[in-house]
Parts: sequence; structure tokens; C-alpha cells
Amino acid sequence: MIYLDNAATSFPKPQSVINAMCRAQLCGANPGRGGHSLSARAGETVYRCREKLAGHFGCKSENVIFTCNCTAALNTAIKGVLKKGDHVIISSLEHNSVLRPVHALCEKGIISYSVARVNPFDDNETLRSFASHIRENTRAVVMTHVSNVFGTVLPVEKICALCKARGLIFILDGAQSAGSHKISLEKTGIDVLCVPGHKGLLGPMGTGALLIGEGVEISELTQGGTGSNSLSPAQPTAYPDRLESGTLNLPGIAGLCEGVSYLEKIGAERYVISHEGELVRLLCEDLSVIDGVRLYSEMNGGKSTNLVSFNLGDLHSEYVASLLDKGGFAVRAGYHCSYLAHKTYNTSEKGCVRVSTGVFTTKKDVKNFANCLNKIAKDKKM
Amino acid sequence: MLYTYIKFETQTMGEKARRLLLSKGINSSLRRNPNPNRKEGCNFALYVNGDVYAAFDILTKNNIRNLGVESFRELL
Repeated sequence: MIYLDNAATSFPKPQSVINAMCRAQLCGANPGRGGHSLSARAGETVYRCREKLAGHFGCKSENVIFTCNCTAALNTAIKGVLKKGDHVIISSLEHNSVLRPVHALCEKGIISYSVARVNPFDDNETLRSFASHIRENTRAVVMTHVSNVFGTVLPVEKICALCKARGLIFILDGAQSAGSHKISLEKTGIDVLCVPGHKGLLGPMGTGALLIGEGVEISELTQGGTGSNSLSPAQPTAYPDRLESGTLNLPGIAGLCEGVSYLEKIGAERYVISHEGELVRLLCEDLSVIDGVRLYSEMNGGKSTNLVSFNLGDLHSEYVASLLDKGGFAVRAGYHCSYLAHKTYNTSEKGCVRVSTGVFTTKKDVKNFANCLNKIAKDKKM
Repeated sequence: MLYTYIKFETQTMGEKARRLLLSKGINSSLRRNPNPNRKEGCNFALYVNGDVYAAFDILTKNNIRNLGVESFRELL
């Protein structure tokens, strides 16, 4: 089976990630909860990862909050920042992990929200769309960096600058960009960055992080044991303890640290963008000459990403994906948990097939994929 | 025996301090505070191999938030 579903989770993982997880599981006690040396060693493992992520994304190590995935990080950021009466702006390409928490708050009458339309061909028009939705009570912009359906890269620096100028909090969903695109809170001024550990950062599933910029206050969603200040009934106010109640995922965090180390060894963003972007370009070339293929590669506005989506004739995307599965290729079809993106690009009827490359994908893999799709198209008399 | 250490509210800040001191050639180890007071509850103690007050000064200069230096006499 050739795995081309790295936008869902990267696979395979580097062996060093698996080794680190095993070591943590075999040797690790609960970090921060015991006075013994095993607990202290587990605490060091957790801090190493915190420091690694802080260095990678340009923030303080104490402002790295571990979560169980990117969705949990986004929920914490959105619900921890927005207050009653606030207004928030999201983009027209958001994943449900942004849309649903925002919509749920709106349904409860707590906040209101607007959707800014993204133009993949014109960043300035996208910027104007965001600006046009700003109201007196707008508190934040929550936006994806890269669309998980079409690979559209949103103009982060421009939107971030707009937020700074208008006094808004900027929350970035880095689900598809962390590990493959350079992101720095310090340099760009991003207030909150939410990332999964198990996609571009090459860590295991069940890991994610919330990275908080200087001076940004986020209220906790859950309260509980933190191993600190235990005689107080009130939740600690210092990060990360404020937002990290309960036992941490030590094996996952140990694996995540190794995933990021692996990325840094191979050259991180430069390698990933050139390698995966090149594979996607090759793929687009091959797919564009297959009869019946409708490619959505133009939706990335010419920017380099690791994914491309398409449809084949009038066939439903799920059916095409099932044929590809029989041919030995793992891809994602359907609606990708992204109602807004499919609505924006009129693909709600049959969804689309998404092919996403990873660090370990080869040119041969994408060539074989194109040959398989070509055969399917011929069989279906496209 | 008298133990003198630097106290931290969170393990994260204690680890941050430990690694900063290590980068300056000062070894230390982070443990749970053996003598937490009733007001603070659990917190963390950084035992420094060497001059604890010099280490404290380094942390202060580098804005590493801590709860100060404390001593604890072990009962025999």
C-alpha cells in the first residue's frame, strides 16, 4: 500500500519517534507528580519537547501547552479568548475544528461570527475581505494557514498585521502547515498557534500543542490537578499549568520531540517544501493529462503545498478513493471535515479526492499513483 | 543536614532554570519541594551544585520566575 494521506496523519513515523515512545513508556513515571527520580526524569522529557517546540515556533517554553490534538488546542484558544458579546472572523476555508466551536458559541448566544471569503489568486482581496468584517466588538480572527482540502495558503503575515493594527487577537490553525511551513510567533506576531503533533511534525497521534505569544491571556476550559499549588482550590494562573490539568501523554510527547528533531535534521521547512512541493507538481503534471480529471491545484494560488485534490468525471470521490484503495493507494475522499471549504469551491455534491505527500513519499510513488488513476479513468471510459 | 534550594511554582519553570544554569556550566537537579508550606502546597525545588545565591542571581537576570531561595533542615 502506498500511503498518500499525510494530511490526515503522517505515516510512517521515523524509527526514532517509535524508539522514544517505547523508552518513555518503559521508564517514565508521571511527570511533575512525584518526588522520585523517575518522575523527575519524565519531567525532563516533557520539558525537552516544550523547549524544542518553543525553539521551532518562536515562543517561550512555558507558553507551550500540550494538548491531545489540534482540535483541542483550537477549542481551548477559541473558548479561552472569546467572551460574551465578542465577534470573531473566520475564513471561508476553515476546518470544522474552527467552524464548530465558533458556531456552537454563536448558537448559545455568547458570540457572533463572520466568514471572510478567501481568494486564492489575490491575497490583497482576501485581506480586504477580512478587514471589511471588522466591527467594534470584534475580538479575534481565527484562520487556517493552509486549507486541508485544496492546499490554499492563506496570507498569514498580511492578516496578522491587520490584526495588530486593529488590536485583534490572531489565532492561527497550523494543522496543515506546522512542520512544512516556517511559522514564528515572535517574528510574525501571531498571538496563538494551534498545531497537531502527528501530521507535519511527525509525532504520534494523540499529541498537539497550543503555542501562546507574549502577553496573551487564555482562560482554562478544564480545571484539575497540575502537580503545583495543590492546597489552593483555584486553578494556577501560570502557564503551562493553567491550561494543562491532568496527566500528560508522556510517550506521545517523547515521540513528538523526536519527530521535530528528525525534521530539523533533514532541514525542516526548506526540505519539506521543496521535496513535497516538487512531488505535488509532478503529480499535477501527470494528473492533468488524464481524461476526466478535474484538478483543483489552481486553488493553492501557485504556492507550494503537500496536497492536491481532484475529481474524476461525475464519479463520487468516495467511489474513486475506493478504486484507488483496491489499486494499493491510500488517499482521503469525501468532505474532509470541512463544510466551508467545499461550499466555497462548489464541491459539496461529490466532495473530492485529496492526495497528500509526506517526507517519505517518493517520485516513484506519485508516478505509480498517476498510472493507477489513468487505468481507472480508462476502465470507466472517461 | 541543611538543604538550600530555589523554589518554583511549576515544574516547567524549574526545568527552564535547570537548563539555563547547565548552559552556564552549573549543575543542578529539580525535585519536588520536600518542605512545602501550607499556603503554597506542592511546588518544586532546584538543588544547585555550588553557590545557590549566584545561581539565583543568574535566574533573576534572565527573568526566570521563581519563588525565592529556601532552606530545609532534615530531621535526624
